[in-house]
Amino acid sequence: MILFEPFHLPFMARALAELVILGALAGTVGVLVLLRRLAFVSDALTHTVFPGVVIGYLMAGEGGVFWGALAAGVVTAVLLTLLTHRRRVSEDAALAMLLTTLFAVGVVLVSRQTGYTADLTAFLFGRVLTVTQEQLAQTGVVTILIVVLLAVLRRPLTLRAFDPEGARAAGIRVGLLDLVSNIAVALVVVAAVRAVGTILVIALLIVPAAAARVLSDRIAVIVPLACVMGAAAGWLGLAASYEASVGHGLRLASGGAVVLILVAMYGLAWAAGVARRRVRLDRASGAAGLEALR
Amino acid sequence: MTGPTENGAAVAGAAVGAAAGAAVGAADGPAAGTAAGTVADVAGPPGRTAALVLDRASVAYGDVPVLEELHGTVYEGEAVALIGPNGAGKSTLIKALLGLVPVVRGRIEVLGTSPDRARRDVAYVPQADTLDPDFPISVEQVVMMGRYRKIGWLRRPSAADREHAAAALEQVGLAERARHRFGTLSGGQRQRVLLARAIAAQPRLLLLDEPFNGVDAVSQHTILEAMDALKGRGTSVVVSTHDLAIAHLACDEVCLLNRHQFGFGPTDATLTPERLRATYGGHALELRGDRVIVTQT
Repeated sequence: MILFEPFHLPFMARALAELVILGALAGTVGVLVLLRRLAFVSDALTHTVFPGVVIGYLMAGEGGVFWGALAAGVVTAVLLTLLTHRRRVSEDAALAMLLTTLFAVGVVLVSRQTGYTADLTAFLFGRVLTVTQEQLAQTGVVTILIVVLLAVLRRPLTLRAFDPEGARAAGIRVGLLDLVSNIAVALVVVAAVRAVGTILVIALLIVPAAAARVLSDRIAVIVPLACVMGAAAGWLGLAASYEASVGHGLRLASGGAVVLILVAMYGLAWAAGVARRRVRLDRASGAAGLEALR
Repeated sequence: MTGPTENGAAVAGAAVGAAAGAAVGAADGPAAGTAAGTVADVAGPPGRTAALVLDRASVAYGDVPVLEELHGTVYEGEAVALIGPNGAGKSTLIKALLGLVPVVRGRIEVLGTSPDRARRDVAYVPQADTLDPDFPISVEQVVMMGRYRKIGWLRRPSAADREHAAAALEQVGLAERARHRFGTLSGGQRQRVLLARAIAAQPRLLLLDEPFNGVDAVSQHTILEAMDALKGRGTSVVVSTHDLAIAHLACDEVCLLNRHQFGFGPTDATLTPERLRATYGGHALELRGDRVIVTQT
């Protein structure tokens, strides 16, 4: 059975654990991204975390990647919070320029390395098969931290996402709450950087939550659903890439496979959502028809 | 609130509209002369407690003054309508009462203390159409938000919390829609749900931002009834509206606003054609001498 067999290998087991935890974490935080419309923040983070990763790597080797990413992620989260509260995000041309510049700095720095294309690909798309125990532990700590944070803040976060003015009127410190949200997203990007890279993490953050939203109107259902879909996509994607590479000699990058599985899940969810609504409409019109007959 | 004090200030305010900037100085005279009397009013006649005191207050966003020289008192269990054209500063005044916009001169006192300290006992009802109709939240969850302050961040809602939320929803006539998604309701119904959320919070002061805009007749009636019920329990109500008929119907006091205050006092005495013309500039028409239609809001 290809869903279990490959994972007897220790490196595959570690890769599986990393992707399942990341998928679950990103799926959960993705609901926050969806409800607070933070897709823009996630996008900005992928651009700024990349040079952080490169600088961390140049300064301290493999071990510096996490800390470089963390520093860049937190600084970005703080700056974006300040920018949005001064309502300057509308100057999006300037912001886009700044983000691309930072990204280019990362590319330029990497290009000075000898094994440059290999490094570049690793930073952009991650290397899930070389995940170490230490990385797993870091991902685990970040996950616990964020899950506790979201659980404690769920009420103010929901109120702020639904009704910002009402949240302010209720005495909630919206600026502080927004900073916490942005940092949570940044931590997910940082945690995911070495396994799936800075580019694909966007899909992990956006797609499971979007698919879960199509299937349910209740946050209490959407969160576990997105969490499970993210984890399942990690598992299926890794199994598919192993089977293609080992069983059929087809090289299939695991990060890409995970994202494609996610998109397929979204497609299925969308179809199910359409069907569900149609059933409801039929029932409603059926009831209306009966009413009319009486 | 009543008394020659505020009426005096109101008349002076009306003159501001007639002669723009020059009249500001003139308004200073009588208002300054009566300021002491108003402070004495704060204690109020025996048995009446002031819920809201505006004491020559000016409100500003940064350096830009939005409202100047507001002056008046609203007592417990009274409703005041904020009347004025778009951009007059009605929403800004509501935010100032919540302590979200700073008072740069004078003083605003809410429930006997500063606006930000009073917030715990103040409930705010935003305009329903400013909220995302796609948000995945049910009607009863929205109403339960009104209990968040009492529930805290972690505790599960208690039986009492559920009862308060259910009773509030009942009061706005939407008990049977509790499990529906908020966004599937009509605009007027959504406005009623937001009012129920405020009622569930058991406030001593209720702030409503244009609750009658684009609202069906049933919803309007329900909102007016709920306002009356709250007043009966001693809750004070501040409601911004374009609708002069509603001010007559439901409010004891009116505050005419357009950057300055053009009148603050008992509804019938304050809603005069002259003051409305001053408040709305050229956009008020007079009918048969005693009724005014506002042509542009």
